[in-house]
Amino acid sequence: MLPEAVELIALAVAALAFALVFAPSVIPRRSLAIQGGAGLVAGAAIALVPIFDVALLVLFALAAIDAAAAGAQRFAVRLRAPALAVAFLAVALIFARVEGPEVLGRFAAVGLVAGLAAAVGLLPYIHPFDGGDESPASPLVWMAFAGPLLGVSVVFRAESVLSVDSGQAFAAMLIGVGVLNMAWGAGGSWLTSSTDAAWRYSFMADWGLVLCGFGLTVVDGQRAALLALFGIIAGRLPLYLASRAAPAPKALPERPINLVIAGALAGSAPFVGFAARILLLRGATTLYWPLAFALALVMLAWLPGSLRLGRSLNVAGGRQAIAVTLVLAVNVAAGLYPLPLLTAAGL
Amino acid sequence: MIDGSAAFVAWLGAALIVLADGRRGLALGVGVGTAGLAVVAGLDAGLAVAAVLTLGGAMAALGRLRAGPGGWAVMPPGSTPRLILCVATALIALWIALGITSGESAALRFAVLSVIGLAGARILSSVDPDVQLTAVALLALAIGCAAGLGGAEVWPYVGAALVAAGAGWLPLSAPRAA
Amino acid sequence: MPSAAVLGPVVLPLVAAGVIGIFGLAGTNLGRLIPAVGAWGCVAALLAVWLPVRSSVELVLGQLGYGSAFDMRIDAASFAFGLMVATPTALMLTLQPRTWPQATISLLAMASAIAALEAGGVVLTAIAGGTAATLAVVLLEAEDSRAPRPSWALLLAGWLALSWVGVLLQVRGGTAVFSAVPVSTVNNAIFALLALSALLVSCLFPWRTWPAQLWSRPSLRAAGVTIATLFPLGFYLLVRAYELGDGRYPNGLFNAGLATLGVITALAAGARAQAAATRREFLGEVIPFFGGLAMTAISIGTALGLVAGIVMLATASALIAALALLPDRAGFASLLAIAAAVGLPPGLAFASRVVAVEATFEAGDFLGLIGIAGIAAWLVLMVGGARAIGLPGGRGHPESETFPNVSLGIALAILVAGPAVAAMQLAYADPVAAEVMPGSASSLGGGLVSIVTVSSVLPAVTLMVPLLLFGVLLYALVGSSAIQTESRPVLFRLPAAAALARARTAARSLAVPAQYRSILNMRELEDAAAGGKPVLWLTALVALAFAVTR
Repeated sequence: MLPEAVELIALAVAALAFALVFAPSVIPRRSLAIQGGAGLVAGAAIALVPIFDVALLVLFALAAIDAAAAGAQRFAVRLRAPALAVAFLAVALIFARVEGPEVLGRFAAVGLVAGLAAAVGLLPYIHPFDGGDESPASPLVWMAFAGPLLGVSVVFRAESVLSVDSGQAFAAMLIGVGVLNMAWGAGGSWLTSSTDAAWRYSFMADWGLVLCGFGLTVVDGQRAALLALFGIIAGRLPLYLASRAAPAPKALPERPINLVIAGALAGSAPFVGFAARILLLRGATTLYWPLAFALALVMLAWLPGSLRLGRSLNVAGGRQAIAVTLVLAVNVAAGLYPLPLLTAAGL
Repeated sequence: MIDGSAAFVAWLGAALIVLADGRRGLALGVGVGTAGLAVVAGLDAGLAVAAVLTLGGAMAALGRLRAGPGGWAVMPPGSTPRLILCVATALIALWIALGITSGESAALRFAVLSVIGLAGARILSSVDPDVQLTAVALLALAIGCAAGLGGAEVWPYVGAALVAAGAGWLPLSAPRAA
Repeated sequence: MPSAAVLGPVVLPLVAAGVIGIFGLAGTNLGRLIPAVGAWGCVAALLAVWLPVRSSVELVLGQLGYGSAFDMRIDAASFAFGLMVATPTALMLTLQPRTWPQATISLLAMASAIAALEAGGVVLTAIAGGTAATLAVVLLEAEDSRAPRPSWALLLAGWLALSWVGVLLQVRGGTAVFSAVPVSTVNNAIFALLALSALLVSCLFPWRTWPAQLWSRPSLRAAGVTIATLFPLGFYLLVRAYELGDGRYPNGLFNAGLATLGVITALAAGARAQAAATRREFLGEVIPFFGGLAMTAISIGTALGLVAGIVMLATASALIAALALLPDRAGFASLLAIAAAVGLPPGLAFASRVVAVEATFEAGDFLGLIGIAGIAAWLVLMVGGARAIGLPGGRGHPESETFPNVSLGIALAILVAGPAVAAMQLAYADPVAAEVMPGSASSLGGGLVSIVTVSSVLPAVTLMVPLLLFGVLLYALVGSSAIQTESRPVLFRLPAAAALARARTAARSLAVPAQYRSILNMRELEDAAAGGKPVLWLTALVALAFAVTR
């Protein structure tokens, strides 16, 4: 049982409980509980079952159930990307297991990376998005609930099914797809016209950090990925849910809290995103310093989109203010002292 | 010989799912595909595995018979591209199974690759939930069978059967207007 | 002295911020008392830790999780810079009324800046400094979102670059602790990144940046605190760079380059100052001018230059408070502020600049020429100061946040403190040189009354006390009637300034030509990428497969 997976499960449970308590009233608690719980259970099963094929089947079941659940989009459209992910992962496993030329192992690596990206909803396999969906039915649940557990599971299991050569290709592709998503996500969250789409792109950008971290085969990369996932589950997801309340009236002056939220979303100090970036730079520097330079440049692109997203929250007071304050405090604590998180994950 | 024939039958079942739009055609496709996969898997993994897969596929086929577009609707007008897809997939799967990869279980390799490819393509190209769920069922069975390439225990097959059975009976909520 | 005492300067403002925040959320504004207690408590804690022992006090706890331990220390450098940050901030928090969120954020920014100065390693400095930068931006935006503020991206870039420096030191040398990094670890590339970080953090560039722009805000409450907390941090990094390199920069070109950049910055600030339209605009260029000359002095690589730079920065920090409290109207306070800023003798600005120029001459060769350029910049500023006396005050600030008498007092103190420059160097700046340049610091000599350099002796007291007395006598006899306040023409205008503004406007107005917009349509690109099209998905798969076979 992976300690990282156990920790992420605990985080996801806490995040779901937090969401149930503090989610704005526009999000029905019942559907949040049912779908969030289903996602959580499935994610936990994916991470904990010892056989990869069974994990794939659990993922497939979750995809079918999620697509069938109530939502504005058609079932067909919502099933496609996760089903494709399952197909990619299944073919990858086949290529990894059969005897044949060396290149089959690399194709297996391709399948694993593509499958992971398709399951989570990253570029180039972005899930079709409808901002009118209630939050639990939104594809963001894949990115923030089931996705982290799936990511850890795929990366861990890839080590056992891939050879050394194809493992290197796997790592390189993770970094490539990660950088792509960082750039697209950061730019998209700034330039897109829809605020809901901007949130989705911001999740993609954070996932880019995660993939880069997973792709850096040194332990600092794994630590960075874990902290980035923490930031997604315990930071970005609750803030996204808070933003689903009534949109901020334009007449209201911008309050300091909106900018602090922007800072948290941008990964600036002292939030957990900054610690993740330091570890990512450390890992990249260890392996290949020009990569660290490229990553540092892309990291700066988070800011404009984060400012926009920070301003999209109307922290009116009461429960929502408490929720946002708690989220920010947890992120600051994890950013200044991430050692307990990393130790609990065995890193 | 038997495994080759069974692999061909599995491909045939998947091809039927691609080519059929009606619930009877889809159910037949699931049934045929299940039969082929069960035989191929059973030859390697044993009768219990074959039974489990057969049960799951049968449940999926029965579920399809009670919901979905009526009739057979096999190869409706405009299905030439789908036919070409089936043939091309078979050829590619055959090439990979026999020409590129090696070892035992070539039939199993062909069967799972062709079924995964065709079922995946059907999910991507269709807008009908019932058609997609049928493809989901067969795809799940193929994934379970693929576990046999790595010498798996019985659990993947059980899981595949459960997913397949569930896909055939999964209720769909009505989509809400935006 | 117990090691935990080093936490005092950081914890006290944090506690004060917490108290203000809690009461504020409950609906009670605690006024200026608690912010003052927190801020002055920080100052007192710094003094209490440093003065009794006058040597490094360090607290090292366990690992934090990103390759750095919790390592805080107060040594000469952190003490000197800590006072530069804390004292003007404390003064402003004591006098200027603020809402409770502003007071809270100001104290948090102050605590973060002090933490950055006390951090024992590069990574921790980056985290604390980045926090201070974030809080400063929040403070400025919360006060007035339409007024000028620093580019958050630039600040973040600076601190991110510093964190990368720390990471590089950890990977190459095994540690990023300032006092423990192996000398051979700091190569030219790493130092270049460190220098870039310092420049970005304090925005030490020849064009007009936030240390000047913030003075044009309608209110100077947030601006004053921001400049006081952030501006010294870049210089701190340049000073610590000596410690990393065992008393020197890895290449003489860095000394020359940074010194040149510093004098160009000062020259540009002086040129803008003498072309200012209002007195506030002139005074806004004073801090960048000080920064430019200070960077020159610090960068030339000698202990004398370093101590001159430290004294100059301390003077600048006092001026920050004076300028933030100064109203935009004619008066004796404004006059003295200008006099102190331009470096009239026998002020501290005058004395420190003289020492700095002497240091460049002693360094010799190209650096001597830089000293001459520094004198030229100083002259330009003086001309600007003479002109500024006759300029209109500026847009004005709320009466409640200006304290002309306090500003007057600070400016007066700067002017009369010139004779004490030797004492200030001995007590305040020499320990910094001893800390970061242990090999060269022995060249510093003198005492309380004079500064001894390699080639000369500057009898500070002997020279400047008579000047001071003369000035007092002159003022007593003549008063301010001899001061002509009619407007004077601009000495010269920088053609480049307008060109830069035009270039920026042109860059902002760039747009894709109409005939190409269908190709570069971002919305269509987004729809294509996010539309869930299977063709795109399969194409991406093929592309990945192709890439992996290369």
